[in-house]
Amino acid sequence: MSIYLPIAEISINIFLLISLGGVIGFLSGMFGLGGGFLMTPMLIFIGIPTNVAVATSANQIVAASVSGTIGHWRQGLVDIKMGIVLVSGGILGSFVGVSIFEYLSDIGQIDAVISILYFVLLFSIGSLMLIESSQVIRDRIRKKTVKKKLHYHNWAHRLPFKTKFYTSKLYISVIPPIIIGFVIGILSGTMGIGGSFILIPAMIYFLGMPTSKVIGTSLFQIIFITAVVTLLHATTTFALDAVLAVILIISSVIGAQIGVITANKLRGEDLRALLAIIVLVVAAQIAAELFIQPDDLFNFSHMANYK
Amino acid sequence: MNLKSFSIIGLIYFSLISTSNSLVIGSDENEILIDANFSGKDLLVFGAFYADPSQPREKKGDILIEVVGPKEDIVLRKKESFFGFWLNSKSVKFKDVPSFYYLSSTSELKDSFFEENSIGLLETSQFPELNWSLITTDWGSVSSYDEKQEFFEALIRNKSYENVFKKTSDEIEILDGNLFKTNIPIPNTVPVGVYDVNLYLILNNEISKDYSYNFTVRRIGIESLIYNFANSFPLTYGFTSLLIALIIGWISADLFRRFRKA
Repeated sequence: MSIYLPIAEISINIFLLISLGGVIGFLSGMFGLGGGFLMTPMLIFIGIPTNVAVATSANQIVAASVSGTIGHWRQGLVDIKMGIVLVSGGILGSFVGVSIFEYLSDIGQIDAVISILYFVLLFSIGSLMLIESSQVIRDRIRKKTVKKKLHYHNWAHRLPFKTKFYTSKLYISVIPPIIIGFVIGILSGTMGIGGSFILIPAMIYFLGMPTSKVIGTSLFQIIFITAVVTLLHATTTFALDAVLAVILIISSVIGAQIGVITANKLRGEDLRALLAIIVLVVAAQIAAELFIQPDDLFNFSHMANYK
Repeated sequence: MNLKSFSIIGLIYFSLISTSNSLVIGSDENEILIDANFSGKDLLVFGAFYADPSQPREKKGDILIEVVGPKEDIVLRKKESFFGFWLNSKSVKFKDVPSFYYLSSTSELKDSFFEENSIGLLETSQFPELNWSLITTDWGSVSSYDEKQEFFEALIRNKSYENVFKKTSDEIEILDGNLFKTNIPIPNTVPVGVYDVNLYLILNNEISKDYSYNFTVRRIGIESLIYNFANSFPLTYGFTSLLIALIIGWISADLFRRFRKA
């Protein structure tokens, strides 16, 4: 049974969309990630136009992050002050990101740039995760315990405009979180991702936030960034497909809950190794499209699409 | 095809039998509606033509059906390899390109016929200057004749992949010598708007009679509501989508918490 998507202007099998949303929701619930970095390339892969895929993914991530934030909020694991500082940088970044997106659409390079960005991103995340998780697995086999540093003192502590973040027990400058938020905003606007996989390590290593507060806070800030990105795309690229969004939201939310339950039954490092392999497969797929000569060198797009 | 309209052409057809060459159309479909289940549609075109009955079938003339969709502006880009990456490089803008073009005849017609009557889009050989009168082209940085030819062919080829450009000469069914009917496949990718249908009766390589009508493709129901809403009130549409996301996110968090507690 196929459904006609009013903005994407194509009809597509509804069960394909539901299973895509479900599987990506399952993975995101299992691994605690937003899933946007898998959702956007998969949507493009099944034939959704790039602009619709980016705008609609952003909207879907809003729902996933709201759902995730509530859970962390109830346990007091969201640093609101830090979240607001990150959001202020992020909103600026998302304006820049959507402008970049529009410019690249006009000159016809959006598909290639998105593919390159996704390839670089997925390849580096996949490799890092695979290396990290395999080390942990190796250590587990050798029965070694790894000592972790409790607190990192770096340049983030020496910049001006220092302020206290009580929830995170930090006294650092607001400049690094604003910059981090800004970069995530740009990525979100151009790629339709939440950016938690960059945000989480950045918060731990650059800001020195306690790991327990990081996931909730990053989810909290992603709600706002992806909300702004959704609105910007709705008003500038007119590419937000509400029908597609609703199908993906419902299926991914259900998938995510099943993912969370499954994750509790498996070891973290095994999960991460598994995700790393999935991510690398998607990266290889994107690379193939970039590097292998296409069947037809020509492609066309409608000029009225973005205006 | 409904019986009533068919009997009407029958009547007209017999009333015309005394006069020489004539062409009568019985198609009454003037709307194609796009709803949530739209997956393309076959447009039925039928009618009757009358030529000289004493002649064998081949000499009675040919029927040519042309369907032209609403115009659109498109950018055609060519990919080139940059350090191993296949990226879009040169581009050409084609303005007023029919979004749908279908040409169907009862037998293969000569190129000279299309040329003389300025019908056709799919025959590049007829257009040595690559200047189809209805398309305005902004060639950009493309200057050589060969390259222009390449772009023009690629335009038609890429449109044909989507089944929106098609030329055929064996899909019109002739019944009873003088009645014809054909199904024109309209794929689900076609844009909304007015489509022109031109029918020609061709005798001795010349247009003897012609007839034109049009039909409209439009969205209905929820599809139309969402599309219009998104385009007329983009900000409200964006906020509505956000609100839906928020509510579903909230409900799911709550629902599953209770579910897990139970």
